[in-house]
Amino acid sequence: MQIELKQIVPIPLKDKFSQRNSDLWNQTVLFQHGEWVKIKAPSGTGKTTFIHTLYKLRHDYSGQVFYDDQEIKNITGDTLAEIRQHKISIVFQDLRLFPNLTARENIELKRVLQAPFYEAIMIDEMADKLGVTGILNQRAGLCSYGEQQRIAIIRSLIQPFEWLLLDEPFSHLDHENISKAASLIAEECSKRQAGFILTDLDEDEHFNYSRKLQL
Amino acid sequence: MLNTLLKKLIQTSSGRTRFVMAIIGLSVALLLILSAVQIQVDYDDLLHSKTNQDSIANFLVLNKILNNKTYGTATFKEEDLSKLKQQHFIDDIGILTASRFKASVQSNSDRFPFYTDISFESVPTAFIDVNSKDWKWKEGDDFIPMIAPNMFLDIYNFQFSLSQNLPQLTQDIVKMIVFKVNINTDKGPVSFKGRIVGFSDRISSLLVPQEFNDWANTNFGNTQNTKPSRVVIRTKDPGNPTLVQYLKDNGLTTDADKTRFSKYRQIVTAIVNVSWITGAVMLLFALLVFTLFIQLTIASCKEEIQLLITLGASPKQLQRFLMKQFFPSNIIIIIISLIAITGLQFEVHQLLQEQNIFVSTFTSYYTCITALVILLVLWFVNYRTISKYIAVQDK
Repeated sequence: MQIELKQIVPIPLKDKFSQRNSDLWNQTVLFQHGEWVKIKAPSGTGKTTFIHTLYKLRHDYSGQVFYDDQEIKNITGDTLAEIRQHKISIVFQDLRLFPNLTARENIELKRVLQAPFYEAIMIDEMADKLGVTGILNQRAGLCSYGEQQRIAIIRSLIQPFEWLLLDEPFSHLDHENISKAASLIAEECSKRQAGFILTDLDEDEHFNYSRKLQL
Repeated sequence: MLNTLLKKLIQTSSGRTRFVMAIIGLSVALLLILSAVQIQVDYDDLLHSKTNQDSIANFLVLNKILNNKTYGTATFKEEDLSKLKQQHFIDDIGILTASRFKASVQSNSDRFPFYTDISFESVPTAFIDVNSKDWKWKEGDDFIPMIAPNMFLDIYNFQFSLSQNLPQLTQDIVKMIVFKVNINTDKGPVSFKGRIVGFSDRISSLLVPQEFNDWANTNFGNTQNTKPSRVVIRTKDPGNPTLVQYLKDNGLTTDADKTRFSKYRQIVTAIVNVSWITGAVMLLFALLVFTLFIQLTIASCKEEIQLLITLGASPKQLQRFLMKQFFPSNIIIIIISLIAITGLQFEVHQLLQEQNIFVSTFTSYYTCITALVILLVLWFVNYRTISKYIAVQDK
């Protein structure tokens, strides 16, 4: 699946963005299948707005977003769910775990929402790689942000996808954990020949990016 | 597995009391509606079925009021009959044909001697409430079946026999006695064998088959007064004010006892109607409470449902899960109500059987169909409510 943007500008930020030079806002951009894209932007320039627009959580923009040939404003309900189950996975900046479920249950839920891509044992393997095995059976609400972020990453990787949207996915992690998480993400994307779009504040060399853009 | 996780997220226990109230309301409503249907069916059964010996279908015997003014003219003319036939409250009309010959019955046995002059009447078989295989006659037959009014036997048993020091007789004994029927003709008496084959409450005269009466009237009867003086009508409701008014306006009269019986009918109808309406209103309220309960459950898990949808749970998945939470209770209620109605029906069957009134042992299929229809309505309301409020969260 390819994702195409045509002149998208968030309506609440229209005045602010039309003044600035951006590689994305108000441009026509095509993300080819399997591309690893880094989007760098300082705070307050709309990284989360951008990711949410791509994921169809926001509708308050002008312009158009296409999944393949289909404009996402026309994709709703069960069809949208189908895409989120099989084609696009996401790590939110605000993580969005269910605080009352355990870390494992949070991941498991995403695993069984569709026909499972991985066996349940894969949860333990990934948790082991990211060093969160110990908190798997703890309620997510009681985990630290760093732990929650790693759980959110595992949750996004347990399902099938063609695109992975990562909204500042390492903001609560130290260098060592960042490189562990990055290598797991790279491994899983390669395995699926999937692309990702990652937003962050700074330059980094965590991945072998195919494209770097400025928001 | 998904359902276990969803169950953890979407707690349906938040409004337990409301849920219990909705369930109780729904059960009572269902019981009322289903019993209304069942009573109606039983009742129609009693009205129309042939198995009920003492059918409560309404047959009225009409005659013109006999007083000084109508003396000698209290018979039905052709136009009277056609006018009666046209009335919408009269389903059917049968002419009571009186015998126009002199007849008598006497005992064959010396041990039990009796003799009495007698007259007969006949009426089309559809108006007779006695089923007997002996109820037939054709020219040349020596045996004449007769139907006597219950009242005759009562008068004999409780008055006559006591005063004359004679034994009391049961219906079965009377049915075994064969007696001699004599018809006086110009050429002397003609004799037949006769026997009572049944007792009736409907028509208060000694009945013989229409064929016999017609034959005997033609051959032995006088030719005067061939016009009928009594008719029997079948009507759905003898308590119908239009009917009562019609009879009054046309100088007709009937036995008041039947119209009193119709009061019970009206009571049954009233009970059925009250049961219906109460049941329907309760069903409506119960549905409302149930809907509110579903709405409340979804609203109280609003954030969870929204996040589930964000993560990719399809509205269809959530609907299916919620239907599984709410709908089975409805099926259980329907099944329990049907079982209760079946139990009640069985009891009623037993109770009425003792009084020679026959209703079905089991619940009628109308009741089952009604239950099914209500189940469909419940499914629809559940489904619509869930779809609607899930769609609201999906926005």
